[in-house]
Amino acid sequence: MLVVNDVSKKFGNFSALKNINLEFTNGVYGLLGPNGAGKTTLIKLLTTLLFPTEGEILYNGCDIVKLDENYREILGYLPQEFGYYKNYSPKQYLMYISALKGLARNRVKDRVGELLKLVGLETVENKKMRKFSGGMIQRVGIAQAMLNDPKILILDEPTAGLDPKERVRFRNLIAELSRDRIVILSTHIVSDIESIANQIVMIKDKEVLYKDSINNICKIIQGHVFETKINFDNAKSFRKHYLSLSEKQEDGKLIIRFISEKTIDNNWKVVSPNLEDVFLYVYKDEPLAQES
Amino acid sequence: MSIKLYEIKKVITSPVMIGLIAIFIAFNIFIIFDGTQSRSELKILNKIVDKFGYKINDKMMVGFKLYYNDQLKKLNETTFEKTSKTYKSATELFSHDYNSGNIYKKEDIEFFNYVRVIENYYYVAKDIDINCKAVNIAAIGEGGISMFNLRGSVANTVRKQYAKLSIRFDKMKENGEYKNLFFIGKAYGMHAFLFSTLFKYLIYEIMILVVLITGYLMSYEFENKTHFVVYTTKRGRKLNKDKFYVAIFTSISVTTIIIGISLGIYFSVVSYSGLWHVPISSSFNWDNKLSYICWFDMSFIKYLFCFIGLVYACEILFVCITFIISNFIKSSYMNFFIFAIIFGIVIIVPSFVPVNSNAIFPVHFTPFALILHSPVWFMEKGVFTTFKYYEVDTIAVWVVILLTLCGICIRKFKKQNLY
Repeated sequence: MLVVNDVSKKFGNFSALKNINLEFTNGVYGLLGPNGAGKTTLIKLLTTLLFPTEGEILYNGCDIVKLDENYREILGYLPQEFGYYKNYSPKQYLMYISALKGLARNRVKDRVGELLKLVGLETVENKKMRKFSGGMIQRVGIAQAMLNDPKILILDEPTAGLDPKERVRFRNLIAELSRDRIVILSTHIVSDIESIANQIVMIKDKEVLYKDSINNICKIIQGHVFETKINFDNAKSFRKHYLSLSEKQEDGKLIIRFISEKTIDNNWKVVSPNLEDVFLYVYKDEPLAQES
Repeated sequence: MSIKLYEIKKVITSPVMIGLIAIFIAFNIFIIFDGTQSRSELKILNKIVDKFGYKINDKMMVGFKLYYNDQLKKLNETTFEKTSKTYKSATELFSHDYNSGNIYKKEDIEFFNYVRVIENYYYVAKDIDINCKAVNIAAIGEGGISMFNLRGSVANTVRKQYAKLSIRFDKMKENGEYKNLFFIGKAYGMHAFLFSTLFKYLIYEIMILVVLITGYLMSYEFENKTHFVVYTTKRGRKLNKDKFYVAIFTSISVTTIIIGISLGIYFSVVSYSGLWHVPISSSFNWDNKLSYICWFDMSFIKYLFCFIGLVYACEILFVCITFIISNFIKSSYMNFFIFAIIFGIVIIVPSFVPVNSNAIFPVHFTPFALILHSPVWFMEKGVFTTFKYYEVDTIAVWVVILLTLCGICIRKFKKQNLY
């Protein structure tokens, strides 16, 4: 079990995270929050790239900083900004990371082969990565994170650059892997975690706002999400009064999905909220800041 | 493949490093061929040493004189045959326009030149004691003291060191260390060429390479943005320790390649056959600027090895300095510029220290000042650095300081936030 105990992180006077308390057991955890909320800071704390200003992170009761390489041995991490060596082939790169991960030499070749097949790169295993597309690079990143068959797999924006087919394949892979490990997945793309995450961690204003199942989180706005058909001319004034979640054009009119906490009009149809609705509702006041 | 081998691979596959090594070696080859134009004359000494040995003593001088007279006689036979003239010396022949009508064959001219060269060696050997007596070590020290207007304890320290060197010089005169044949310094300047010109280039070339290599290795993950992946692996931050060892190993390798190839070419161009064991303090070595009086009784080969050893030690210190800088700066080229700035600052610091303060001595005990004095390592090298163990002390002190700082950096990096 991975436990985040009263963790705060400050950079000088700037507070990046405040009093974070979390518990992770086997399963998929979706980390949600807008840019600048502190997701990446939390992930960097969980991967020992940053050290808490206050509090501690424990794995099976031991401080991960003290566990040092014993903790990192069971860690797989795909950073948001995944760097690679342009002159390396994916095979060379994975062999190098295998050495750093301390994989047994006699197993490395087979393991690298397995993973390249899993991420669909076996046909280009010896090609230099400088010629790879963003999606191919991201798949190398996923493969390297899984090299050591980690007990804790942390993926920061893992589906960025993947096409819809690859995205589905990735989701299935994560669902399969999460049976016997902790998978923490940070993303902006709500649909990526909606179908696979056991729990969602929502961070707002540097603090954990919710940590619950998708169903329970959606209950926050249960009965307040509606759909209605309006004229395009009225759209501007409608948006001023209600939080628009999604809009689409149909028969010359605008079908608008929105949230209202007050009066209900007869023309409005109550719909079931989804995670994206909650996301838009919770972070409606957040400025479009850059991720720290 | 082990982690260290992967790190080595990063360096040896770098086009910049390969290109620079090739350029430096090509430049050194040019310098060697340009600086050894008198190669045919230099070979004559090997012949003399083959015949008489390099130790100058009465017995050797008798044999040398007979040989020289015999060669001069042969020279005069040739000139008499062609011009009915004879000469007291080969130098006299060369001081005239002796071949204006192209009366001599190529072989004759080569022979005349041969006689002229052995004549030079003969007369320098003959007057060796006179030349040696002219050297006054204490006066050299006093000259430095008055040049810098040194007073008090600083002047006393300098006097003390020159007095010690004077004792060493007296010993040298007693044991005849100075009385050995070697390339004539005033004519060929071979010591200055090898240890001042060539080694000066070698030291700076290797310094550039080791600073770039260390900076490159240390910044590699940050410049390729792989640091988040690499430092969250099992090896993690301990990779910096591996990088430190690899930086030292590759720097030693680069030093070996540059020095090995350059000296290999130099010694195949200039033959030191029979001269390897000539004492480095031989007065033949002395040129117009300096008397190369070594603090230690060392042969040429021993001096060369000690010199090379010191180059290795200096380059390792530069690796350590760059390693420390790279803990703060995560860019290989910025590392290089910061190193260059530190080099400049350390060199100009002594000019801000009052010359009559005892602090003037320690500010000269730096690896940067050390390489500036490389042409006269283990010898007299000016009032502030003429200490018997200047080189050893500088290296020892800085090894301790820099290794301690490197250790602190390695430990500090383990707890450093990585953004």
